[in-house]
Amino acid sequence: MRVVHYLNQFFAGRGAEGAASLAPERMAGAVGPGRGLGLEGLEVAVTLVCGDDFFGEHETEALRQLLAWLDEEAADVLVCGPSFGSGRYGYACGTLAREAAQRGIPAVCGMHPENPGVPAAAGAAYVVPTGERVTGMRDALPRMAGLARKLGEGAPIGAPDAEGYLPRGLRHNVLDERPAAVRAVDLLLAKLAGTVTSEAAARPERVPPPPPITDPAGVTLALVTESGLVPIGNPDRLESNRARAWLAYPLRGVTAFAPGAYESVHGGFDVRAANADPNRLVPLDAVRTLESEGRLGELHETLYTTTGNSTPVATAAKFGVEIAQRLHEAAVQAVILSGT
Amino acid sequence: MARVGRTSTDEGLDVATFVVLDVVEGPETRWDDGRLTTDLGAVEALGAGSPGVHRMQAEIVRPGQHVRLVNVLDAVDPVVKKNAPQTTFPGALGELAGAGVGVSYRLDGVAVLSLADFRTTHDVDALACSPDGDGVIDMAGPGAYLSPWSATTNLALTFACDPDVSLADVDRSIRAITLRVARDLAAATVKAVPVAVESFALPPADGSLPAVCVILQVAAEGPLADTFFYGRSVAGLLPTLVDPREVMDGALTSGQYDWAGSRNPTAFYQRSVLLRELLARHGRDLRFVGVILALGYLPSAREKERSALLAARLAKRIGAEAAVLTTFQTGNSHTDTVLTAQACERLGVATVALFAETDAGLTDWAPETDCVVSTGNEEELVPEWRPERVIGGEMTYSGRSATDAGRLPVVEYLGAVSQMGDMRLRAVTW
Repeated sequence: MRVVHYLNQFFAGRGAEGAASLAPERMAGAVGPGRGLGLEGLEVAVTLVCGDDFFGEHETEALRQLLAWLDEEAADVLVCGPSFGSGRYGYACGTLAREAAQRGIPAVCGMHPENPGVPAAAGAAYVVPTGERVTGMRDALPRMAGLARKLGEGAPIGAPDAEGYLPRGLRHNVLDERPAAVRAVDLLLAKLAGTVTSEAAARPERVPPPPPITDPAGVTLALVTESGLVPIGNPDRLESNRARAWLAYPLRGVTAFAPGAYESVHGGFDVRAANADPNRLVPLDAVRTLESEGRLGELHETLYTTTGNSTPVATAAKFGVEIAQRLHEAAVQAVILSGT
Repeated sequence: MARVGRTSTDEGLDVATFVVLDVVEGPETRWDDGRLTTDLGAVEALGAGSPGVHRMQAEIVRPGQHVRLVNVLDAVDPVVKKNAPQTTFPGALGELAGAGVGVSYRLDGVAVLSLADFRTTHDVDALACSPDGDGVIDMAGPGAYLSPWSATTNLALTFACDPDVSLADVDRSIRAITLRVARDLAAATVKAVPVAVESFALPPADGSLPAVCVILQVAAEGPLADTFFYGRSVAGLLPTLVDPREVMDGALTSGQYDWAGSRNPTAFYQRSVLLRELLARHGRDLRFVGVILALGYLPSAREKERSALLAARLAKRIGAEAAVLTTFQTGNSHTDTVLTAQACERLGVATVALFAETDAGLTDWAPETDCVVSTGNEEELVPEWRPERVIGGEMTYSGRSATDAGRLPVVEYLGAVSQMGDMRLRAVTW
């Protein structure tokens, strides 16, 4: 098993705050806490180091170099830290571990549960909870080494409390002793008696909205939809569910979505009424009217469309990021996103 | 506090259960004290002459066999009205009669399954709502725990369809034949003496007990995506009060073949754990004041809000202080449930909602949905399994061979994340 270990400048013995701007370095063998991992039977092949300030100020550059080295070293598992209560170090550990895990290299961090590195790991990497201070080293290393060994071997990883990592936010199936219907009746009677409990809670990802538009006559507006709206005949074979891509179609010169010229291929609702007037899926006719009256600055001349039906959330989130990037590059300031 | 609305004489439903220990093929369909013999040739002959059915193959499939069933359409518990067999599944198969009264004989441990790969004969995507997924039951392997029909002996009816007959007509034939076979199997017991008889009664109950109803979500999106109440599509249904015993006794049947894990096959209405639980606790922990059928998958915000409002008002009107909200499939039907919870809570009707989850958790929520039962994460992948044999089709929906389908998500398995609450699966945070 090939283990790569990540440390900041301090734990790599390169100096304290004065060395925080250290650019990424690669060192053979175990360094500092990595020797402690070795005592737990986890032999470190390569140690990667980066100054905390350098990582914070040049994240893209630091990640590119560190991930390239991870690939070169053909790491089976990446261990980061432990970073305890250190916010900058923890952030670097969590971010690197997340990126590695998303590239298929399992990763373990060790840090305090309130370290900003925990959200940075985003559930992609495992985080072993530690104390806030470096005095927690002796307690943390055996637990990190144990989990890293299992991950490196490709062994199945059990429940968070059994394996000693922080819950990653996955919704994992287990068998309850009682059928769901019996639990429902029990929870309802308890609710009537004043005790409200739930087996699933909302986990909304809150994105701070941009400031409101003060003058619509001055903005560029885009139309984006998950309604499966495409030119008639579906020339690019957009899927009716579990879409693998989003598509872009030109709107220049199109004043409205004429029935018979556009259609929805969405497989999750009855499209007949929508296809009788596709403008009710995406309000191009109304937007063009506002544009011609000067009440709306300008319509972005591309429609972004996909099918939002049985799409895994990870895929949908990726579509969202990609489309938003296009809109951002085109200086679009407002979007009408029509869902079905 | 409202009184329970009921006539003074509650007729009640008596259900005799015959536990099937073995199913064998033989020259005639008969019952011998736990041993069910069925004439597969005679069963197959039932399919002949039905519009749209070229051929129907019947075979017995047992738990533990290295067999994967795909394109499973429905699962039906064999049942017969003892004193009026011709009224079994009223409207859908038999003559119209009120369901949920009288004596029913049912078989336990055996199910009738219908299977058809419509994609090989018809342009399924041309339907208003095309059914998605593979409709899987594994009789062994790592996915076997996900479907109730991995543990039953199944009479699998595989239909070869006529491409020149419309899907709506083909499906009408398949549903009728499947219900007929289920009825005829159970009919073998009508002269037998039952060992176990359950009486499902709803006598007047202590008015101080909390009044609970079920708002049972059903859906109708056209052929292959339909639910039937006394044989007629529930399309356009207003929230409607029904007796729980009607639901359990064949009044509701399924013609809905979208994602197998989150839909309700006919058997889930027949054997509903939820309705049985509420009937069992009636008079002890609660008063069970009825079942409201209400549509999910309504096509606009206005229609969703309207149905939610009317369902909540009906719940209030029958005196319910609390309601169990079931959900039909996933996606926008979750919004129907959330809106119904909001409408109920505004009227002072406390709610619990049953939801299947995705990798990202709940699909929809509101402050009012503060009491949710998780029926599992439908997207979690099941370890790979390669069956020795596949019944019901050759290719999966995603275009892979059914014997080498890779890791399937939980939602492919019939009944896995039932939001009527029939299963024990639940998602926890890892």
